[in-house]
Order: sequence, then C-alpha cells, then structure tokens
Amino acid sequence: MARPPLAGVRVADFTWVWAGPHCTLQLAHLGAEVIRVETATRLCVTRLLPPFPRGTRPTPNASGYFNQYNQGKKSITLDLKRPEALEVARRLCAASDVVVENFAAGVMDRMGLGYDVLRALRPDVVMIALSGYGATGPDADKVSYGPAQVPLSGMSSVTGYRGHPPMHVGVSYGDPTGGLHGAVAILAALLHRARTGRGQFIDLSQWETSIAVLPEAVLEWTMCGRQPPRDGNRDPYCAPCGVFRAAGDDRWVALAIEDDAAWARCAALLGRPELAADPRFATLVARKRHEDALEAIVSEWTAQRPPEEATALLQAAGIPAFTAATNRDLAGDPHLAARGFLVALEHPEVGARTHLGVPWRMGAGDCRVRAPAPCLGAHTDEVLREVCGYDGAAIARLRAAQVLV
Amino acid sequence: MAGALEGLKVLEVGDLVGAAYATKLLADLGADVVKIERPATGDQARRRGPFPGGTPHLETSGLFLYLNANKRGITLDLRRPRGQEVLARLAADADLLVHEVHPTEMAAHGLDWDRLAAANPRLVMTSIAPFGLSGPHASYRATEVVAWSAGGLAALNGDPARPDLPPLKAFGQQAGFQAGLNAAIGSLGALFARLSTGRGDHVEVSTQECVASILELTFAWWPYAGLVASRLGAKPIQPLCFMECRDGWIFVCCVEEHQWRRFVELMGNPEWAEMELFADRLARGRNFDALQALLQEWCATQSVHELYAAAQARRVPFAPVSTMGDLLAAPHLKARGFFVTLAHPVAGAVTMPGAPYALSATPWALRTPAPCLGQHTAEVLAEAGLDAAALAREGVV
Repeated sequence: MARPPLAGVRVADFTWVWAGPHCTLQLAHLGAEVIRVETATRLCVTRLLPPFPRGTRPTPNASGYFNQYNQGKKSITLDLKRPEALEVARRLCAASDVVVENFAAGVMDRMGLGYDVLRALRPDVVMIALSGYGATGPDADKVSYGPAQVPLSGMSSVTGYRGHPPMHVGVSYGDPTGGLHGAVAILAALLHRARTGRGQFIDLSQWETSIAVLPEAVLEWTMCGRQPPRDGNRDPYCAPCGVFRAAGDDRWVALAIEDDAAWARCAALLGRPELAADPRFATLVARKRHEDALEAIVSEWTAQRPPEEATALLQAAGIPAFTAATNRDLAGDPHLAARGFLVALEHPEVGARTHLGVPWRMGAGDCRVRAPAPCLGAHTDEVLREVCGYDGAAIARLRAAQVLV
Repeated sequence: MAGALEGLKVLEVGDLVGAAYATKLLADLGADVVKIERPATGDQARRRGPFPGGTPHLETSGLFLYLNANKRGITLDLRRPRGQEVLARLAADADLLVHEVHPTEMAAHGLDWDRLAAANPRLVMTSIAPFGLSGPHASYRATEVVAWSAGGLAALNGDPARPDLPPLKAFGQQAGFQAGLNAAIGSLGALFARLSTGRGDHVEVSTQECVASILELTFAWWPYAGLVASRLGAKPIQPLCFMECRDGWIFVCCVEEHQWRRFVELMGNPEWAEMELFADRLARGRNFDALQALLQEWCATQSVHELYAAAQARRVPFAPVSTMGDLLAAPHLKARGFFVTLAHPVAGAVTMPGAPYALSATPWALRTPAPCLGQHTAEVLAEAGLDAAALAREGVV
C-alpha cells in the first residue's frame, strides 16, 4: 500500500494570496494534512478573483485561481480579530508540526501567535514566515504585492524586447518562487527535527528568493560592472534561439540550435543544406553576428506550418522545439493527459474542472492531488473536534459567538 | 552550528541549472554534495559565464560558481562501462542522486534505477527531464526558451500593442530554476518518507510541468470559462504598470481602491483623477491608454526612489525597477547580509546572492567555493576505496 511521504505531518496554514498557498500546496501534494485558517470577514483575495465558471455568479468557492492552488487542503473559518479565536488558533498550532504564515512582519506576534509563544506551546514546531521583504532590516515594514516582486528583484530590468522598456514575465513570479523555496526550507527543517527533535523558525524574504534565481545578471554586475541588456528571447550561447511565428492565428513555435551540428540538421530540414557551410552561419560566432538574417530564414520556414508540425519535424531531427503553448493547448495536450498531470476531481460547486497536478512523480511514495480545493470553512467542525479538542457544545458556543466565521 | 542536512550524502550529474540548483539548495543547508562532471570539458555552465572581464575560462563562470559553491567536484566518464561502475560504487553509499541526463541517454550513462536500487535500497534517485520520463513526448528535447514556451509561460508575456512581437521568455534560466526547486522538494519528500519506510524511491520531475504549475490564474480560464489567456489581452485592473521617472523606471501598483486614492493624493490631487473615466479600477483598466499618458507625464518629473518611499509611506506597494547596481547598493539587503563574497582560487573574490532564507537553529552557510574541474576526484574516490590514479590511467577520470 503506497504511503504519502508526509503522512502524519500536520500544517497550520495562515497564508493567503499565492506565495504561501503555493508553499503549502507542495506539502499537500506530499500528503501532509494542510489546514487553511480563513475568515469570511476578510476572504483570501484569490477566492474573489476570476476565472469563475461561465454563466454563474461568482462565489468564494468557485474561483479557478483559488481552486488551483489549494487542492488537497482543508479549510476552517476563524475570525482572528476575536480573542476566543486566538485560543482556537493556539490549540491548532500546538497540534501542528508546521506553522506557515505570510502576514506583514509583526502581525503574528501582535496576535499572540509569534514563534516564542508557539514554541512554548510546542517546542519542536517548525514555523516559517514568508514575507515580501523579510522579518528584519530597514525595509521589513514595507508592503509588497505579488506583481511588485518581479520589478523589485531586478528581473524586469533584464526582461524585455531589445531596446524596449522593462517588462513583467506574465505571472507574479516572486510568489511561486518564494513559496517553493519555503517548501524546501520546511522539508529540510522537518528532516533536521526528525534527527534531533528540535524545531526552528524560518525567515523567508520573497525579495531574496527572487534574486536567488537571477545569478547571471547579479554576477555580470559584480564581475564585470555591467547591467545585462534586455535581449528578448536570444541567448549569447545559442543561435538561432527564439520563438518564431507559425501558421495560424497568433501561433508560435520555440526552438534553439545549441551547436553547429544541430544547425546543419536544421538547415537540411529547412531544405537549404547549403546554409550549414555558409560562412555567415557555419559557426556560433557567425550566427550571432548575422542573427537577424538567420531568424528571417527560420521564420520563413516556421510560418508555413502549424507549431505542432514544426515541433514534430524539428524534434525528429534532434532539435529542441515546442509550441508556445496557451492554456487551451496545455488542457488538450495528449502528453500531459497521458502522464496524469491534468486532474479533474469533482468539486461540490464547480463540478469536475481540469486543474494542473503535481509536477513530480514518485515510484513508491503516494504523491498526488488528493482532493479538490476546500469550500470555505468546510472542515471547521471536523478540525475543531478532532485536532483542537473541542466538543460539540463548545463548538456551538463558539459559533453562536460569531467566532467561527 | 551544523546545517539542517548535515550528514546527507548527495551525488549530482547534469549540465546547467536544474540538477545543480536542486543540490545547491541542499549543499547550502549542510549536505555533502559530490558533483560529477565529464572529464576535460565539465558542466556546460562552465562555458556560459558571465566571466570576469568578459574572458571565458572553465574555472570562472559566474553561473557555475554560484550554482556549485559548497560542493566537491569529481570528473568521471559515464559513457564508459568503468565510469558507470564507479558511479554505482558511489551510489551504493549515497542517500540521494539527482541527475538531469536526458531520458534517452540515461541507460548509456549508467543511470539504471532498478540496478542502483538493488545495490542500495535506501537510495533516492531524482531524474529531471524536459518532458518527464513517460508519455508521447518523453524523448523530446528542450532548452530554456523551449521549456518556458512548452510550459505555457512565454505565451503570457508580450506587448498588447505589438502583436507582431513574439511571446517572450523571462530573463535567464527560469525553467531550470523551477525544475531545480521542484526536484529539491520531491527529493526531500522521498527522504522524509524513508524515515518510516526505510526505503528510497525514484522521483521524476518534468520541467514542462514545473513551468505549467506556476501559470497563476491563467490556466483556469480555459476549463472554467472557455477563454484563451493571451499576452495580447489588456490587464483588467489598472494601474499596474511600468512608468519612466526622470532617473529610471518604477512599477506603479494600485490593486485596491484605497491605494489608488492615496496615490492620487500623492500626485497632488490632479483634476483629471476625478474624471468618470478613472472612477474605479476596472474603469481605469478600460481607459488605460488615457490614464497611461497622464501618469507618464507626472512620473517623468519624479525620482524613482523618492516616489517609491512616498508611496510606501502611504502603504501603497510600489516597487522600483531595480537594476543590479541598485540591488548591490540596497541598505536593506546589506543589513540582512544577503550578498556574500567568496574567494575562489582562479576567479578571485566573487560576490553573489546568499541565503534565500534564514533558519534559526541550522543556518544557511557558504563554506567552500565551487570546485575546480576534478578538484576532489582523488579524495572522493579514495573515500569510496577506489584507486584514482589507476582510473586516471584508464582515462575514466
């Protein structure tokens, strides 16, 4: 019988929006019991954002955004502004192996749920704070929203078309990058705890995790004193390298030629084998020097066929290539379907909608999307009874006092 | 204090970022990582730079030095049967092997899970592949721009006013970093499972799926509403945009109404801000062309850092478009000790990003610079009871 790797690990999840939920999603995929602490008095932003099923009124349980990044978790509602709620939260933390939060710096401390308090309740707890700027330093109080990390980290300054303004990258990239780093740190801390019995506090700054993935740019500055220019899809060590127009309405195919031998195969495929030895294109240095002409030649060929056909022909010649996939392309990708990456579990409000699953597999460990995202507060009674130790009468009193909203 | 992963024995085989970042995350938390490179030429990252003074050298690539600090390095020709025997010997005594050898070439490199697991049932092996190990595209190849496109992210980035420009990748090797992060998570998960099962596992990571899993709210537009998310679509909410100030660029970020009101105050309550066209965030999104021109006119007179400070003082989450120079000079990052400088025998003092998180009981730590090619071959092979000199004579190391 396959066993989830994190079977028996409980996570009290005080996060919201994307970075924190993306962190705890990884733990849910690994089989941890992740309990999201939410409140109807201030809904998670992603419960309010689209997409919602076409032709329906938006509800907090119907957002495709929330439902993607909260798969396999439980949800309780608890109004943390109420003193009685804080006692519930403390009991939850005392019964949890991991506590995750991404409030602004100091908020958990002010609520009486800081690491010093939680450690007294449960000495081996692993607690992580994922904040925009980190828990210490002169900017620790600054406010950060997901999309702001891309410019703040320096990524925007080096992303964009040549000669054009700085750009975004299409998603709030600092959020998942911060969340994934957080999951690594938590797992390392859990392994350490298993060996030593000791928990700890982890301070994660999304600004820093966003810079951690930009070493080429940082080191070009520290080694050469040069800010790398924005250069579109080009690569200093690879040419041609880019996303080229294919046949169809706004359809594109990405490809990259890594060495001279691959260029010779590409030239043959393009029906122009003489280009392999053409002095303008025979070496990487020559191809970089004549890159505009090179890209025009490639585009002429790609524009005559759909991206899927170009991909199949290029890959058959051993050349890395793929459609610049849209969400529709991914949802209909037979490869992703065959691998079980696309999952559609029955959700009580939106039915079976396709979501993206776990990007890794284990041979023996049971890693998967175990359940759809929870409806708001769906597990409040269960968690209060089984995890926090309240009986039915106590739960009824808390509910009557408007604590469980 | 010892690192969280002290005592964990890790092997790494692969080029560029995926496997190297996965094991860097572990090495920086105390794991003993041995990086295996092909003799003479080594990891492709050694040839990518950036290089000091712009001069390529196998030992001074900034990308390589960043990804491989805290590791030991050996050379081993895995294409030869004797090299594969050495790998099997090292794997027999390892906790984890992370590799990014293409699925069609794994067997030819001795990366045979059944054999390695039979010899060491506690081994975890993590295989990173561009499209995973199974499925109709498993033999497909990818580079960075291809993986970013295949995972759906390139299609989301572009200029709505310029449909002639292609979908755009993000700077650097982001697909590689995403694969590395996921590989580290899968590997640590399998090592945690081993605590109770006593057995290792084979983890496989698809780079395409790693990229697809961070599409934010865009993927769901198709299964929920039948809509294709495109780089050409206008943002529904504004302002969330780049503006050019007199000394650089800033990201203007007003998600909530109260943030917009405070920004209007900051601008000195211009009359145009009261126009019906800009009444709420959706209206500002619909009329962004007009808004953009008015905002640009005002921002052009401002300094990035004064505007950033003034907005933040009003709890409005603006951010500067940092240049690398800005990051290295940022007082906050200095106070946190984020950038670290490490002396390397060939490259000299190299300053690079440091701890992405602080663990209170088991600090992140930089101990040694990245290995020179084959620097620890004799040492590591001797630990495994092998004769490095004999292997060198055979041309295997």
